Amino acid sequence: MSSTNKAARWVGEVVMVLLSLVFLYPLFLAIFNSFKSFQEVMSDVIALPKHWTFDNYTYVWNFINYPRLFLNNTIITVLGLAGIVLVSSIAAYKLARTKSRLSGIVYFICIMPMLIPFQSIMLTVLKTARFLHLSDSTWGLGLLYWGFGAPLAVFIYHGFVKGIPKELDESAMIDGASGFGLFFRIIFPLLKSVTATIVIIDVMWIWNDFLLPLLMVNGSPTTKTLTLAAYTFVGQYTSDWQYAMTAMVMAVLPSIVVFMFLQKYIVKGVVAGAVKG
Amino acid sequence: MASFYRKWRSKMEFGLFTLPVLICVAVAFYIPFVMTVRYSLTKWNGISKHPKFIGLDNFKQIFTGDANFTNAAWFTVKYAVLYIVLINVLAILLALVLDAKLKSKTWLRAAFFIPYILSLVIVGFIWKFIFMQGFESLGNSTGWHIFKMSWLGEPGLAFISVLFVSIWQSIGFYLVIYIAGLQSVPGDLKEAAVVDGAGPVRRFFSVTLPLLAPSITIAVFMALTNSIKVFDVILSLTGGGPGGTTYSVAYDIYRDTFTNNLYGYGTAKALILFVAVLIITVIQLTIFKRREVEA
Repeated sequence: MSSTNKAARWVGEVVMVLLSLVFLYPLFLAIFNSFKSFQEVMSDVIALPKHWTFDNYTYVWNFINYPRLFLNNTIITVLGLAGIVLVSSIAAYKLARTKSRLSGIVYFICIMPMLIPFQSIMLTVLKTARFLHLSDSTWGLGLLYWGFGAPLAVFIYHGFVKGIPKELDESAMIDGASGFGLFFRIIFPLLKSVTATIVIIDVMWIWNDFLLPLLMVNGSPTTKTLTLAAYTFVGQYTSDWQYAMTAMVMAVLPSIVVFMFLQKYIVKGVVAGAVKG
Repeated sequence: MASFYRKWRSKMEFGLFTLPVLICVAVAFYIPFVMTVRYSLTKWNGISKHPKFIGLDNFKQIFTGDANFTNAAWFTVKYAVLYIVLINVLAILLALVLDAKLKSKTWLRAAFFIPYILSLVIVGFIWKFIFMQGFESLGNSTGWHIFKMSWLGEPGLAFISVLFVSIWQSIGFYLVIYIAGLQSVPGDLKEAAVVDGAGPVRRFFSVTLPLLAPSITIAVFMALTNSIKVFDVILSLTGGGPGGTTYSVAYDIYRDTFTNNLYGYGTAKALILFVAVLIITVIQLTIFKRREVEA
C-alpha cells in the first residue's frame, strides 16, 4: 500500500514539474531565440541555437542605451517608493489616531481613488503633469507615482496602525517626543513589515508600468523606461524577431533577478496586499 | 487658554501630516477627474485653444450610434466573464495540487508565479512571437493542426489568444491567494471528514470550498477590476485586430483620445467606464459584506 502510494506521489511530482516546464516554455523560447542570428530564427524557432551569439545583446544594449534606461527605471522606482511610503505612512498614522468627522472625510478622500480606472483620467493626468512641468522628465514621473500609489498605501497603513496601542504614543509624549519626531522614532520602525509589503507590491508595479510612462516620458530617448524602450524598439523592428526577443529578455531580466532573491517576501507581500486591498 | 493652544496645535499637526498626501492625490486623481468631467461635455480636437461646449451630445452619440464602443463593450464583458471564471477555477485546481506534500513545491510555486512579475506589454510581444513564428515551427515538426491555425488572424481565435495570454500571465497571482487560503483551512476538519467517510470530491465541496470563500471573494474582486481595464496585452499582442475585433473599452478610449484626436469624445467614454466600474464595484462590495456577516 505504502509503496504504491509512494509511486503515485512520484508520478504526481514528475507530472507537475513537467507541467511547470511547459508553462514556462514561452520564456525559454524567448531566451533561446535572443542568442540566434536572424537566419537561424527564421529557419527554426523551436530549436536550440546552433551558434550561440551575443551580437543581439550588444546591438540592443547600445541602440536603446541600456545603462541609461536602467538608471531611469531605478530613479523612478526609488523616488516613487520613497514618496509613497513617506507621504502615506504619516497621513495614515494621523488619520488612524484622530477620531473626528474631518479625519473620516480625509481618509475617504485618500482611498476613494482606488475606484477610478486610470484610462478614465489618462488624458487629463497628462495635461495636469504638463502644467506642473512634471512631464518629459524621469524625476517628474517618479513624483507622480506618489499620488497614484497613495490610496492603497494609506489603506494598508491605516489598517495596521489601528493595531498599535495608543499608550505607546502617550508614553513617548511624556518623554517629550511629539509630532514628526514621535512618528519617525517610535511608530515608523513598528510599521516595518507593512512597509515591506507596500514596497514589494509597488516595486513590481512601478518597474513594469507601461501606460503612465508612455504618456509621460515617451518624448525623448533619454527619459524612457525599459518596458517603454522595448515597446518602441519592437515597433521599429517588427520583423527582426531576434532583436525583439533580446530587447524583451533585457527588459524583464532585472525583475526576474529581483524575484529570485526576494521570492519569499514577494509571495508574502502579494498575499498581505491582496487580502487587505 | 492652554486648552485653546493645545487644540490649535493638534489641528496644525493634523494638517501637516495629511496635507502632503492630499496634494499628491489631488494632482494624480481629483484635478484630472474634474477636468475629465468638463472635457466630456465638449467637442475638442486637442489642438484648438477653446474646446467647444456641446452638453451631453457626446454621450448621446456613444449610446445611439457608436459601433466601435458597442463592440468594445461587448468584447470587454465577454472577456471579463470568461477571465473571472476560468482563472478562478484553474487557480483553485492548481492550488489544491500544490497544497499537497510535494517535494518540488517551492520550485513549482515560483515557476507559476514568474510570468506575473513581467510587464504585460512584454508578455504580449513574447506570445506574438510564439503565435506567429513559434507555432509555425511547432506545426512543421509535429504536423498538428492546432499549430497551423491563425491564432492572431481570425477574430474568434484572436479573442481566445488574448484571454489565454492574460490567464497565463496572471494565474500565479491567484494561485498565491488560494494557497494562502487553503493553508488556513484547519487540518482536523479535513481529517474529521475522512473519518466520516467522505470521498475526496465530497470533501472538497463540503469542507474545503466553503472555507475558501473569503479567498474566492478577494480573487473574484481582483479579477473583476483587472479584467474590466484590460489594455496592455491587447496593445502588444493583437493591436486590436483582426479587423478591430479585439478592442476593449480601455483600448477604444485610448485610440479615440490619442490616435483619432477625439479628445472630448474619448473623455466622455472614459467617464462611462468610470461609472461602470463604480457600479460593479459597489455591487461586489455589497455581496462581500453580506458574505462577511454570514461567516
